[in-house]
Amino acid sequence: MNANNIIKSLTEKFPNEILEPNVESNIRISSYVDKDAIVNVCKHLLETLEFDHLSCECGVDYPDRNEIEVVYHIASYSHPVVLTLKAKLDRDEPQIESIVSIYWNANWYERETYELYGVKYTNHPDLKPLLLPEDMLGEWPLRKDYEGFPNKTAKNLV
Amino acid sequence: MGEIIENVSFTATSAIHEFLKKTPLQDIINWGRKNSLWFLTQPMGCCGVEMIAAGCSHYDTDRFGIIPRVSPRQADVIVISGYVTKKYLPALKRLWDQMPSPKWVICMGDCSISGGPFYESYSTVQNIDEIFPIDVFIPGCPPRPEALIQGFIELQKKIMAREDKGSEY
Amino acid sequence: MEQTIAPSEMLLHLGPQHAIQPGPYLLDLKLRGETVVDAELEMGYIHKGIEKILENKTYLQGITITDRICYLAALTNNEVFCNCVEKLVGIEPPQRSQYIRVIMEELSRIQSHLLGIGEFSTDLGFVTMFLYMIREREEVLSLIDMVTGSRITHSYLRFGGVREDLPEGFAEKAMSVLNDINKKLDEHEDLYNTDKIYLQRTVGVGVLTAKIASDLGVSGPPLRAAGVAFDIRKNEPYLVYNDLDFKVCTEKEGDIFARIKVRLDEIRESIYIIEQAFDQIPQGPLFPVGTPYGRRTPVMRVPAGEVFCRVEDPRGEMGMYMISDGSDKPYRVKIRGPVFPTMQALPPLIKGTYVADVAAIAASMDGCTSEADR
Ligand code: SF4
Repeated sequence: MNANNIIKSLTEKFPNEILEPNVESNIRISSYVDKDAIVNVCKHLLETLEFDHLSCECGVDYPDRNEIEVVYHIASYSHPVVLTLKAKLDRDEPQIESIVSIYWNANWYERETYELYGVKYTNHPDLKPLLLPEDMLGEWPLRKDYEGFPNKTAKNLV
Repeated sequence: MGEIIENVSFTATSAIHEFLKKTPLQDIINWGRKNSLWFLTQPMGCCGVEMIAAGCSHYDTDRFGIIPRVSPRQADVIVISGYVTKKYLPALKRLWDQMPSPKWVICMGDCSISGGPFYESYSTVQNIDEIFPIDVFIPGCPPRPEALIQGFIELQKKIMAREDKGSEY
Repeated sequence: MEQTIAPSEMLLHLGPQHAIQPGPYLLDLKLRGETVVDAELEMGYIHKGIEKILENKTYLQGITITDRICYLAALTNNEVFCNCVEKLVGIEPPQRSQYIRVIMEELSRIQSHLLGIGEFSTDLGFVTMFLYMIREREEVLSLIDMVTGSRITHSYLRFGGVREDLPEGFAEKAMSVLNDINKKLDEHEDLYNTDKIYLQRTVGVGVLTAKIASDLGVSGPPLRAAGVAFDIRKNEPYLVYNDLDFKVCTEKEGDIFARIKVRLDEIRESIYIIEQAFDQIPQGPLFPVGTPYGRRTPVMRVPAGEVFCRVEDPRGEMGMYMISDGSDKPYRVKIRGPVFPTMQALPPLIKGTYVADVAAIAASMDGCTSEADR
């Protein structure tokens, strides 16, 4: 499995959904993906391209572009290529379909992204906070404009 | 509690303890207490690993009568070994309540003293000393097991000198 | 998990403080008789927000924070962080530094596995083994201490190199300690293999097959025990692992016994790697020459870009995703720890087992709560 073939297969199957594909090296590829197509793209990756290991899923906040990106790192147990898929979401109301039905271990990653960034995952089996206590929900602490430190944490240290 | 009869002390009342505290007998009791400081192993962070290491064969705190226990009901000392988060604080308080008196707290590591490397975190709790009556602070990140042992010995000295916060005088 | 229970069922909370736990987490079990019918894991009790803190620290300060992600594998966490930054600025550590890093990381793998096996043994009630393992671990820790100056949080790696060269006489000392451990390990394995109770409690218990393990996204020893030879050191070699000869230890059964066997074998393999590294290590500088980056750059600006790096942690695949916006602090750091998916796989794994086996299964996965919570 080689990086160029993977990109070719992806862009042929999804000409309109895969945007700006980029081969960084022969083991790293990245691309933007249309947020409505994420489940179909993942299904294709799993079934035909041997991407059977969701390595990581996270959010990134870009307040100046008013966007939140959800980044998927999809790898494989049999070849060393890691695919970085990014989906752009609206920052005021981030929402994307969950990929738990395809990669089971996305479950906790999505719960984590939900409580830290406020990204709503539709069709998620059990979307609730994972790491933070319930009463911190809604503060979205990993967003760039979170006013935590020093107002909400250290009392007399600073 | 039984009926209170004048000039008679029942063991069920605290009067006998109050009386003992005024006599030299308390020194003997304290001597016993200081030599059996069993601590609760509840590793909460990096310092927790050093705490476990201190309890094991190489550092061997058993020499001082300091033995690791895993149940709060059998422990005398709770070592706060790491970051206390907002989510864990209620559980930690509960552990503290479950321990029988007299009981002592030792703060191990910068995290539990002031927040340490995580003092600017959104999820940790600062100023633990307002919540627990802490007797000994051990600085370090993490303190070596030797430092923990020294902390225990300081606690023993405090108990002998009747200056600890764990028992009431 | 449904909180309503049928008349013959019972809810059992293990945690947040419990004897089997390496750190606080809460395992809710629904029992019917002695069988676990449903399980749910709740964590976050030591969530420190490391990712947010890393965004507010300069790159050099960040190294000390990565130590505390998982305190049993501080060196591999340093490695993945430095690796990301090195890729972003485009430098490569000189050969000598790379060999030193390999030696230190393998030492760290040995001590982590020793503690992992030891903790597992206490949870089975095999406390003797715990004390043996800790005794060996202390020896390894003092080796690490000799080089880095601290026992568990080292901050030893720097961008493009390592902080300090190996002290004089380190190779001889290390090899004598490691040969000792190698011998003792055989004795310990004998003890495990001949103990009837141990065999009854581990063989065929908590089986994780290759198919299920890869579906659950598990990596590291639990996956290799199921027969999948997935090791980042081989699949995507970093440092000088290409020049070193080692095999990926696998077993077929996927049960608790196999997981412990894989860890014991990996300790031997690490000792073999260290031996080779001592033979091959060249002389030379510790930092790359002719670049503005290196030892004397407390404040450095990293070119904008993003990178995803993976290294092999003692517990599996450790990844880090770093975005730089050209300033002296990272824009976003995502830590993909190996324990996060492993802990996630725990509830499905213990479903259908006996409640007495829960402790053994949970401990054999070698979870580190601090890393899962971050
Ligand atoms: S004081 Fe340092 S070593 Fe101890 S728990 Fe905190 S960060 Fe870890």
